[in-house]
Amino acid sequence: MSKRTLPRLLQTPAVLLLLVWMLVPLSITLYFSFIRYVLASLNRPEWTTPSITNWRGLGNYIFVWNNDGFWLAIYNSVFIVTSIIVLTVVLGLATAILVNRSFPGRGIVRVLLISPFFVMPAVNAVLWINMILDPVLGLQGIAVSGINEFSENMRSAPLIGWFFSLWPELTPISFRASQTSAIAVIMMVTWQWTPFAVLIFMTSLQSEDQQQKEAAILDGAGKWAMFRFLTLPHLARPMSIVVMIQAIFHLSLYAEIEIVSRGNGNKNLPYLIGEMATNNIGAASATGIFAVILANIFAIFLLRMISKSLME
Amino acid sequence: MAIVAEQSRFSRIFWPTLAWITAIVVFFPIFWLVFTSFKTDADAVKPEFLFKFTPTLENYSNMVDNYDYWRFAGNSIITSVFATIFALVVGVPCAYAMAFDPTRATKDVLMWMLSTKMLPAAAVLYPMTFLTKNFLGIYDTKFLVIVVLMLVNLPIVIWMLFSYFKEIPKEIIEAGKMDGVDTWGEIKEILIPLAWGGIASTALLTFIFCWNEAYWTVRLTTTDAATLSSLIEGNRAPEGLFFGRLSAVSTAAIGPIVVLGWFCQKQLVRGLTFGAVK
Repeated sequence: MSKRTLPRLLQTPAVLLLLVWMLVPLSITLYFSFIRYVLASLNRPEWTTPSITNWRGLGNYIFVWNNDGFWLAIYNSVFIVTSIIVLTVVLGLATAILVNRSFPGRGIVRVLLISPFFVMPAVNAVLWINMILDPVLGLQGIAVSGINEFSENMRSAPLIGWFFSLWPELTPISFRASQTSAIAVIMMVTWQWTPFAVLIFMTSLQSEDQQQKEAAILDGAGKWAMFRFLTLPHLARPMSIVVMIQAIFHLSLYAEIEIVSRGNGNKNLPYLIGEMATNNIGAASATGIFAVILANIFAIFLLRMISKSLME
Repeated sequence: MAIVAEQSRFSRIFWPTLAWITAIVVFFPIFWLVFTSFKTDADAVKPEFLFKFTPTLENYSNMVDNYDYWRFAGNSIITSVFATIFALVVGVPCAYAMAFDPTRATKDVLMWMLSTKMLPAAAVLYPMTFLTKNFLGIYDTKFLVIVVLMLVNLPIVIWMLFSYFKEIPKEIIEAGKMDGVDTWGEIKEILIPLAWGGIASTALLTFIFCWNEAYWTVRLTTTDAATLSSLIEGNRAPEGLFFGRLSAVSTAAIGPIVVLGWFCQKQLVRGLTFGAVK
């Protein structure tokens, strides 16, 4: 056996498995995206099974492209992903800086802060949409009715009563509706992923050059200047990694969307594909190919970045 | 560190207090879930019992009758354990070869592996269902779930192992070669003992990812191989009426993993950033 054969042999199973995993389902998707394939087609029974004779060319792509639902789903996907990323980076940075000092109980604080990240996504969604955000039974409902009751009682109070009579009666928000379900999803995913950002920023802050900071202080640099010109550049790479990894993960959000609105609310691209895949497989596959393209745009950036920073 | 010590009294008290408050607020939903699990379903939705109530273990003792908890938990345990083991069995030799016998293609292979992770699952959902149902006949089996969980996590496993193996000095492995140890011996006698910590944390993290996976496990199973994710996601009952029991089963589903997660915070950074931040 030559010197090179053995290392190759050791890599073969992993490479082959991933190759099959990537290529086989994707080529089937590609094939389905070019044919008419509708599961419940009463008038055209020949469309209910996949066959090359049902060739539709780019028809499915054009159909999807001209579909308002598709663009709405892309809008929702991008809106949800962008909001989560902005919130987690800002909150994560603030929290990491807050915890990056020694104080009593720091270990416990860290454990508490990181915990949400390990919560199963399905449980996360069930917990937030029911026990916290439910407009009647959840904490939101209880808080709103508590505040209403309080201001109601205070209206008859002497002297300050007029102030409370100016208060409007609050109505709880239903987060299962179509306009608000994306907000609920953003809230719960931000809660779950901010710990991830905190953890990465914290790790990175610990490797910051302290001597450089001390030198800056001796030179009379203010706190803000130090943050702006030393800490922030130092965090640039971890920050871009946080952004990219979250983009990849959140573009494929599904469980949260499903549990929050059960199809009645804001749909993102994976959810739309899942819905289409119960009937119009051709269109679902074409949408899937669009999703692959969208993910690839993000992936190219991420891979470039990681390959630069990792391989030295 | 003389300079840092010059903190005013205000900031010595204020910032730690703020950190504690933040931590408590962040942890509150989890606390609330566990807290609610000790209320009866009736108490759980009444504002007057928000904090004052008679704790009960009823929800936990009825978990098996209400939800058939152990069937789902058993599936979760079996699929996560075996997926982790298989991912390591495939991943360790691969990462070993990449770390100690890199070729010019190694970097590209690693990048390509990572790129499989970015393929949106929804795009291949129907083909996967179609293949496993109509051709392979393995839809809704634990075998399928194990294979899929393994494949989904394999890139991360290889990346993590690779980043740990790279830290082992090459000379040690080469010294083994000089002594006439064969490759299997190298892996078994030298690599595994040296990288034990790294392999263990990779395993732990993979197990957590498998346990929490909520796309394939839900969509490629119906009854026989359904995991805890399916149990929770499929809970379409009028949920409002059952906060107590829902909380109990949710607590039981996340409890072990959250505790496990506390022990591998550091590895999480490495695993999720594919080794780019350590």
